[in-house]
Amino acid sequence: MKRIFPALFVLLASASAGWAQKIPVVEKTLPNGFRVLMVERHEEPRIAGGWVAHVGSANERPGITGIAHLFEHMMFKGTPTLGTTDADRDRAIIEEQERIRDGIRAEEALMRAALRRGEVEDISSPEARTERYRELEEEFKKLVEEQRSLLVKNEFDRVYSTAGATRMNAFTTEDMTGYFIEVPSNKLELWAWMESERLLRPVFREFYSERDVVFEERRMRIESTPTGRFYEQFNALFWDAHPYNWPVIGWPSDIPAISKRQADEFYALYYQPQNITLILVGDFKESEAMPMLERYFGRIPKGTQPAPEVITQEIASVAEKRYLAEAETNPQVDILWRTTAFGHRDTYVLEVIEQLLNGRTGRLYKGLVLGQQVATDAGAGNMSKKWAGSFNVYAEARDGKTLAEVEQALYDELDKLASEPIPAEELEKVKNNFSASEYRRLTSTFGILYQLIFAEGMGDWREINASGPRIQAVTSDDIQRVIRKYFTKENRAVAHYTRKAGAVSDEDPDLAGLAADQKPMARQLSNRIRESKDVEQLKAFLAQVRDQAAGTDPKRQQLQKILLKKIEQRLAELAQP
Amino acid sequence: MNTRFLPITLGFLIAGVSPLLRAADPIPDRPEKLQFPVLNYEPPRPADYRVQLKAGPVAYVVPDRTLPLVNITVLIRCGSYLDPVGREGVAEVTGHLLVRGGVGEKSAEELEERLAFLAASLTSGVGGDSGSVNLNLLSKDLPEGLALMRAALTAPRFQADRLELHRDQMIQGMKQRNDDSGSIHGMETVRLAYGTNFWTARMTTGASVQAITVDELRAYHRQWFHPGNFVVAASGDFDRAQLVERLETMFADWPFAGEVAPAVPTNIVMAPGGVYVVDKDVNQGRVTVMLPGVKRDHPDYPAVTVMNDILGGGGFTSRLMNRVRSDEGLAYGASSSFPGGVHYARAFQAGLSTKSRTVAYATRIVLDEINRITSGPVTDEELNTAKRSFVDSFPGTFDTRVKVASQFASDEFTGRFEKDPDYWKDWRARIESVTRADVQRVAREHLHAERAVILVTGQKEEILKGHPDHPVKLEQLASGKVIQLPLRDPLTQEPVR
Repeated sequence: MKRIFPALFVLLASASAGWAQKIPVVEKTLPNGFRVLMVERHEEPRIAGGWVAHVGSANERPGITGIAHLFEHMMFKGTPTLGTTDADRDRAIIEEQERIRDGIRAEEALMRAALRRGEVEDISSPEARTERYRELEEEFKKLVEEQRSLLVKNEFDRVYSTAGATRMNAFTTEDMTGYFIEVPSNKLELWAWMESERLLRPVFREFYSERDVVFEERRMRIESTPTGRFYEQFNALFWDAHPYNWPVIGWPSDIPAISKRQADEFYALYYQPQNITLILVGDFKESEAMPMLERYFGRIPKGTQPAPEVITQEIASVAEKRYLAEAETNPQVDILWRTTAFGHRDTYVLEVIEQLLNGRTGRLYKGLVLGQQVATDAGAGNMSKKWAGSFNVYAEARDGKTLAEVEQALYDELDKLASEPIPAEELEKVKNNFSASEYRRLTSTFGILYQLIFAEGMGDWREINASGPRIQAVTSDDIQRVIRKYFTKENRAVAHYTRKAGAVSDEDPDLAGLAADQKPMARQLSNRIRESKDVEQLKAFLAQVRDQAAGTDPKRQQLQKILLKKIEQRLAELAQP
Repeated sequence: MNTRFLPITLGFLIAGVSPLLRAADPIPDRPEKLQFPVLNYEPPRPADYRVQLKAGPVAYVVPDRTLPLVNITVLIRCGSYLDPVGREGVAEVTGHLLVRGGVGEKSAEELEERLAFLAASLTSGVGGDSGSVNLNLLSKDLPEGLALMRAALTAPRFQADRLELHRDQMIQGMKQRNDDSGSIHGMETVRLAYGTNFWTARMTTGASVQAITVDELRAYHRQWFHPGNFVVAASGDFDRAQLVERLETMFADWPFAGEVAPAVPTNIVMAPGGVYVVDKDVNQGRVTVMLPGVKRDHPDYPAVTVMNDILGGGGFTSRLMNRVRSDEGLAYGASSSFPGGVHYARAFQAGLSTKSRTVAYATRIVLDEINRITSGPVTDEELNTAKRSFVDSFPGTFDTRVKVASQFASDEFTGRFEKDPDYWKDWRARIESVTRADVQRVAREHLHAERAVILVTGQKEEILKGHPDHPVKLEQLASGKVIQLPLRDPLTQEPVR
């Protein structure tokens, strides 16, 4: 595959223009500690606004896993004036509810003790509740009903929707909690009012029904999907010491045990102004926005102590880990290596390695899917997070190929990267794509907001503008050094997924009765037959297959029968005018 | 960097003054007390961008000099509705391989390397009732990109090894059909909503995909991929007149004559009302409540849109979300959709996922809410929220130049532009004119909960147990009639026990 030289020249010229493309961010700090990032874009009359709290599931501890995410949900429940018609009674009800919940928690401790003794099987089933539990629950329900009569349902959402806002949502990761929305450009002050109000005086009403919602979210995302529980377990196996080993949504025992008091403590520690970055992108003037932000967000008191950072570091791995799963999924291999955190100098090299491996012209697709034909799909992903990172490669096995073959083929591609210099054109191709993405990432106002939230949540928004030149500077030597350093045997965890015995029949009903080792050949032959237009050749093949029909092996007889049928069908088709 | 370019017809006039900062005033305790500057907005007009190419297609050409990027989409009148019975997959595979099986003088490998080197993407696909080819690249590479696009549209090679690979990939995909309850639920929803004989319910099978030949793909391509069946959307960094010239060249002298695609069939038949259950071992049951819908050009459609927003379309301001999620904590989401339909009346659907034991209770709430919106008027506040959220978020419909071009091209493609050229100009007024009486009338006319087709996918035994705190059973939702649907073999789609 020769490439034309002049085209390469043109591309090199454009690449240098590409990485000069910066996102023009104005950065400020409010007196109470909020960091502010602003990008003006006046094409459309909308503003994308958001903020990121520098806290995620990695800041949790066993027993309250999932609280960062549950907290994210609670931030939509309103304020003393939004969400209720009677703030005083609402507050009193919440306090009474907490007293009852203390009683329920005592019953839950008894239920857990009964579970440990083997007296009950499943404390989540409605039948496992103690009598006292049920009584308290009845009392609690009465308070919920009274509170509901005072509620203005989801008023926070209603105010924004009625103002023409869209895309209101939030997300939680191991490292950050991000909140975002898009408002018409004349409603910047509404954004400032709403967001500063919920940061200044949030009210966590409907806490316990929202906790149930989060558990349904856990069922939806993890427990009722074919591979969710497997990925969760594999992740827990991969990280030894680091808090990345529990899931963002929380362990099933912890979610239903989190109390409102714990949520209050969490808010006081992590939602202080100096732990939050405010971000605006769109049709506003920075000179008008700043006084507004100072006025609204400036009233939130500065925190008294800094939010603690994640101290625990991953221990050095001394042995390879292997995870063998039977699941309702196609056979596949999934490999993770310990690598580097966001912003680490080797992370840029890993980003380039990911792109060398990925895509339809990447090494994995060309090597495993098109070349060796051991896989139907393959890919790689660099996952550098705030405190630590991992690198993933995976492949789905092609019919008839073993997972051992697939795994070896993945290693072969990495070994090739490590041992043979990367051709200059191939490296250039990858870098051209990084350059072009610097333009593509600027096409949407909301997209820019999202990138800023994400990079800032990882530690520093400036990475967005700094990474371009660093990626362009990556050399073939860097790639080989990084692969040799991180992609070692003891540094990896390998998952093999095989299909749980059951449901799937063979693709072509005609081939259903064949043995597994016959199928690839049978399919290949029947495809060739189907595509052939050469009547003479088909007739010759027919005769050949008939001649071989003398054998006694039933496996072979079956195959011959099928081939005869296919050839005759095709001959009949070709005989038609 | 290029200078920004804003056609005058797109100028957004912000009248009034910027918000007065009343630094001395106290911050109000309620958001209604805030005052906002007036925002006037007029949507772009399709006529400003519409070009009838001499070569046949209509194109929407939307220059945007802010970034050195160009995006071009060719829509093609064809679709899987044209697949003969037993040959399901021909349209899909043609669409997939059009740019992935080599084009013109380039093999698949050469084309992919070239595109990757240019950081360009050239993709293609054929769906149910339309096909598309999309080109996205740096503007400096436009001439080369357009030449490749023409090669894909006129001379796809459909390399046999790529057909073989894609067939394997499709079969791998099929094998996963029963793995996720959502996949099973989705397939059964279509069968119940439109009938097993309707074209959207006809699935590819192992056999139908194995039977596809290169000749068939070539025939499908030559039949439908012709400028007479195209509509074009172009946006990005180009001079309008020059791009029109380039498009004329791209579509000129087509090497073969195609056919005009026949109308999309409309023979939908919804299953008889009742509760249908698919048994699948997952701890969260999926529920969809279905009722016949309307086409999007039905005179009730604006009122239907507002009604559905209040019932379940509006997210956290909707009744279903308030009751099922916020009040009861039964589901992560509960929503409804009343999507209209271009060719046929797409079904109304309301749905949620909840733990097995509360499936019956949550479904009861959905049915109650459907009944409530038909039996009593919505509040002024609900109506206002729905209308304002549509009207005041309207500029988002056209918030990028890519969206302007693709929305107008889609309207041309589906015949909306011809029927209603001022559709977007009038859209907000149509929403504004909806009254509380309209909402109740259309709810009563179009939502008959007693005829609902209810599909439940999950652990049947647990679901039928119900919950001790909520004395409602699945059987009671359907006057004792619970019909179990069989799982189907993922490759043959024949029922299995």
